[in-house]
Amino acid sequence: MLILSDLYRVAIRTGDRVLTPSMKKIVKWDHPAGMKYIHFWAPLMKWSLVAAGFGDMLRPANKLSLNQSISLFATGAIWSRYSMVIIPKNYMLFAVNIFLAFVGAQQLARIGHYRYTHPEAQAKN
Amino acid sequence: MASLISRGLAQLKSKEMRDYLMRREKHFWGPVANWGLPLAAIADLKKDPEIISPKMTVALCFYSMLFMRFALQVKPKNRLLFACHFANECAQLMQLARFINYKYGTPQPMKQYQVPPSATKPPVPPVRTV
Repeated sequence: MLILSDLYRVAIRTGDRVLTPSMKKIVKWDHPAGMKYIHFWAPLMKWSLVAAGFGDMLRPANKLSLNQSISLFATGAIWSRYSMVIIPKNYMLFAVNIFLAFVGAQQLARIGHYRYTHPEAQAKN
Repeated sequence: MASLISRGLAQLKSKEMRDYLMRREKHFWGPVANWGLPLAAIADLKKDPEIISPKMTVALCFYSMLFMRFALQVKPKNRLLFACHFANECAQLMQLARFINYKYGTPQPMKQYQVPPSATKPPVPPVRTV
């Protein structure tokens, strides 16, 4: 059975062995917010929310969840503001949250447009 | 008992508490904003499972898993963020289970195999023009 965490640890160990110090300096291998630590991978995972949101554009508008769109938009907007006031400024966090806010707003617009053009439809969401 | 309550209220009104809530504290208001996601998912538990988006639910499961560890590894530890993502993980897993049950557990009508209405009309005999 393939255990992903073991695979990750093997990859990190081989990276530690194989990379030369100059290569490690270029990719910032030992940085405390680098590829070896959760401070790197967790904000990177937020891009998957943006990708899922883009994929949801193919769904019909009456199958979107209003609550989830509102919360995605709100969290994207608030975090994009906070990522610029924290020290140090985190531009990647800013970018991902701006995109998340756009995706949330786009879903809200689709829901609103659907409800406006179909007043007789029973709102499931 | 009364002194316990009065001490508790005094702690709530203290300067440290006001500073925690009021200053531009990314450790507090950021995680508070993130609570929208689990609350939205809990509100959606009662609604039609048709509105669950599988891509978004799976993405949110992975996202909350990683952020649970992130919240405990940052300095200072952010237990509010941890609680938020723990709640979100539970809610998204419940939504995922409801979606799988709805899609594969209940018999779905086979919409694409509807017979077109033209197939039921009797064939018109060809008119001989010669």
